[in-house]
Amino acid sequence: MLPFIILGLSAGAAYALASIGIVLTYKTTGIFNFAYAGVAMFCAYVFWQLRDRWHLTQWLALPLLLLVVAPLLGVILESLFRLLAATTVEVQIVVSLGLLAFFTTFVTIIWGGNPRLLTSIFPSGKFSPAHDVYVTGDQAGTFLLALAMAGGLYVVLNRTRLGTATRAVVDNRDLAGLVGANANAVGQSAWIISTIFAAMAGVMLSTEEGLVTYVLPALVFFSFAPAVLGRLVNLPLAFVGAIGLGLLDSILAKYNSSGTLAKIETSIPYLALFLLLVAYGRRLTEVRSSLRATGGSRVVVHTGWRNLGWGVAAIIIAVAVVPHAFGASTIQAFAQAMAYAVVALTLVVLTGWTGQISIAQMSFAGIGAFVAAHIAGTNGGLFPLAVLVGIAVAVPVSLVIGIPSLRLSGLFLALATMAFALLMDKLVFASNSITGGLTGLNLTAAKIGPLSFASPTAQFYLCLIALSLAGLGAFWLRQGPIGRRLQMVRDSPNATVTLGASLTATKLAVFAACSAVAAIGGALLAVTQATVVPSNFSFDTSLELLLVVVVGGRSLISGAVIAGGFDLVQLLPLPAAVDKYLPLGIAFSVVAIAREPDGLGRVMVRQLSYALDVLYRRARRPASPPLRRTAPRLVRQKAANRA
Amino acid sequence: MPEPLLRANAVTVTFGGLIALSEVDLEVAPTGITGLIGPNGAGKTTMFNVITGLQRPTGGTVHYDGHDIRRWAPQRRARAGMSRTFQRLEMFVGMSVRDNLRSAWEASVPGGVFGRQAAAGRETVEEILSRLQLHSFADRRAGELPTGICRMVELGRALCTRPRLLLLDEPSSGLDAGETARFQDLLVETTSGDGLGPAVLLVEHDVRLVMDVCQQITVLDFGRRIAAGPPAEVRKDPAVIAAYLGESAA
Ligand SMILES: Nc1ncnc2c1ncn2[C@@H]1O[C@H](COP(=O)(O)OP(=O)(O)OP(=O)(O)O)[C@@H](O)[C@H]1O
Ligand SMILES: [Mg+2]
Repeated sequence: MLPFIILGLSAGAAYALASIGIVLTYKTTGIFNFAYAGVAMFCAYVFWQLRDRWHLTQWLALPLLLLVVAPLLGVILESLFRLLAATTVEVQIVVSLGLLAFFTTFVTIIWGGNPRLLTSIFPSGKFSPAHDVYVTGDQAGTFLLALAMAGGLYVVLNRTRLGTATRAVVDNRDLAGLVGANANAVGQSAWIISTIFAAMAGVMLSTEEGLVTYVLPALVFFSFAPAVLGRLVNLPLAFVGAIGLGLLDSILAKYNSSGTLAKIETSIPYLALFLLLVAYGRRLTEVRSSLRATGGSRVVVHTGWRNLGWGVAAIIIAVAVVPHAFGASTIQAFAQAMAYAVVALTLVVLTGWTGQISIAQMSFAGIGAFVAAHIAGTNGGLFPLAVLVGIAVAVPVSLVIGIPSLRLSGLFLALATMAFALLMDKLVFASNSITGGLTGLNLTAAKIGPLSFASPTAQFYLCLIALSLAGLGAFWLRQGPIGRRLQMVRDSPNATVTLGASLTATKLAVFAACSAVAAIGGALLAVTQATVVPSNFSFDTSLELLLVVVVGGRSLISGAVIAGGFDLVQLLPLPAAVDKYLPLGIAFSVVAIAREPDGLGRVMVRQLSYALDVLYRRARRPASPPLRRTAPRLVRQKAANRA
Repeated sequence: MPEPLLRANAVTVTFGGLIALSEVDLEVAPTGITGLIGPNGAGKTTMFNVITGLQRPTGGTVHYDGHDIRRWAPQRRARAGMSRTFQRLEMFVGMSVRDNLRSAWEASVPGGVFGRQAAAGRETVEEILSRLQLHSFADRRAGELPTGICRMVELGRALCTRPRLLLLDEPSSGLDAGETARFQDLLVETTSGDGLGPAVLLVEHDVRLVMDVCQQITVLDFGRRIAAGPPAEVRKDPAVIAAYLGESAA
């Protein structure tokens, strides 16, 4: 037993640093840093570069990392998030998820995806405190260093002026501003310390598990559960929780004989995260910036039917062109893209219209897909039934996730869905009996009545009809009382409840409906993919879909269509470099335009028309009025029309 | 005196170490206008939040229409006839003015979100739009309107729920003199007459307006009630003069 405890203590120590870092920035600045895993991984690679690639001595590389690189990164992150202080929680989460994707893709591009080994920063020897028990230098060093760093932070927070100022800010942001405790300086130090902790945690975890781009983030996600155990504000509790988690993990590993237990073992942190959210419920602290959270709410209910015209035109063009102009595989790709668009549409309704963030829509799609493959895999005629069963599974699951988390701010739905998606990956999708393992399950001949969807063209029409119905349905609901209710919830929760509508009921209904539609989208994906494999429904795919919806325009139905369209990029004869940098570009765009619910396209059009307008007037009238007074021409025209 | 529509007893609210309200009593009669005044930071908005359920009090009770409503969610209080405006505007900025009012009506009616009684709703909304002279702004997006209009829209939105108790938090701040006068007429017109209008609890810094329209006034200072009574009494109260009104008003 003792060896496992020793192992657990050192693993827990690394999680503890990460948990503390996450709690620190949340409690001082109100930002929950989903990108923490990306930051930690980036720093670990930087350390590898400095020490193992450039052969700096460790005594130079480590200070460089902890005292130069990490603080610099902390300062950058702090100034980025300070810009977002007055926006909605939704925008803040989108940005931090965008950063997560940015760091992970950036690392892959710079250092490649191949796993690397990172040797310990501690002396390699081992010693034996008791008979037959060995402690490696790495284990002892990791634990002691983490303890020292946590202790150091404790001293800073309790014995220095920075600590006093921090507590003042945490206690009352408004008052702290008035009495002169500089909230910005406090926030900046918190981000710097948090990033230093991230760097150290990243190095420690990489020493244990290697530098592996697809493993490291998941390890850092482990530390979300201890952070929540400390209700996102209690540093000592987060520390103790993380150590406990490390111990639990390692002790379970001792009994790790059967496969099932192993799976449960790796999913315990996510399970803990979810159960803690349920258990704490309303006792979870919501740290809110004192600034009003309206700056980010630029979603407008577009009434009027002109937009509908564009939609109908798109459908007609799709019918007229795609089945005739392309080969079978391209037609199938279009079908698949439209199935993705159906899932993406749920994110438009959920995120764009209601202001809620789910990082699990592809997991719901996965439920639909695997249920469809199980039920209709051998007998295609059962496909309609399979879709219904998929919905019947997805909706109760969504209620289990939504009921505890939707009563709180948007952050907690994001956390709960994240835990759910990771749990689905570990427990359900990884189970061979459910998903057929890596090779997946087949669904080759879905039928609705006499109509068979074996051919790409038939799949194309199926998905087109489904997407059209979903899009038109969403459009129609948006114009009516339901659309107004969503906008109420998004624009002003306070006014919503004091007028007599329930926030929780509204959000829950929307979340359940969106899960149902996502499950339908998943069943369609199963039809177009023919082979349903778990990796197509992982947490990563949910995150990617959210990011492309943000780029496409999360408040617009067309945004969902654009998001689905990203799936067609692979068909284009693009140079390899584009393929390589596209994810980075998407992540970057998400961070840059997170405040703009209309997406990248609209932002570009707006900027372009503004620039053209300025140029045009410059050319005509050399003595043009000052720039800030020139509104875009469209705006002025509209104003003139109104007058 | 008839049984009050709203009765708050010994309401206390603390934020960390700060005592925002300390054992405050407040009564609102079932008709007419009751004023709630006091200097900045006295706790007026906090009291509104307690009454409407947005803020859970540390202590004390609130009775509405004879019910102890301590455990009622805000939406239940709203459905029971409470409606309010906000000092810091809480508009549905992404919707038109008309849709702001429609959504309010839909929120106040069971099944409204599924389009029940939509025709009656439209009628109510149009009627209130014209009563508040908002017709010319009805199709403008709420987020692009000046504060004065927004205050009117919030008032209209509150009226759309056909309240029995209307709570107005500094409705005239940001209005110019003409708008304030028009608002005062509206307020009197809304509450008086056939006796069907709502009871109003009014927080307002415009002392003349308060003294003109209110039948009863409660004065807060640093979270404590320092006076209560009809305007004529309150304006002569030395504590009120010292804390809020100043010599000139007396
Ligand atoms: N959510 C909160 N957290 C901490 N302190 C608060 C909070 N809400 C109000 N306060 C404090 O409570 C006190 C009373 O505030 P309140 O807004 O009720 O005053 P008010 O009478 O409405 O003032 P004003 O005339 O400026 O509107 C103030 O000192 C304020 O800073
Ligand atoms: Mg106030």
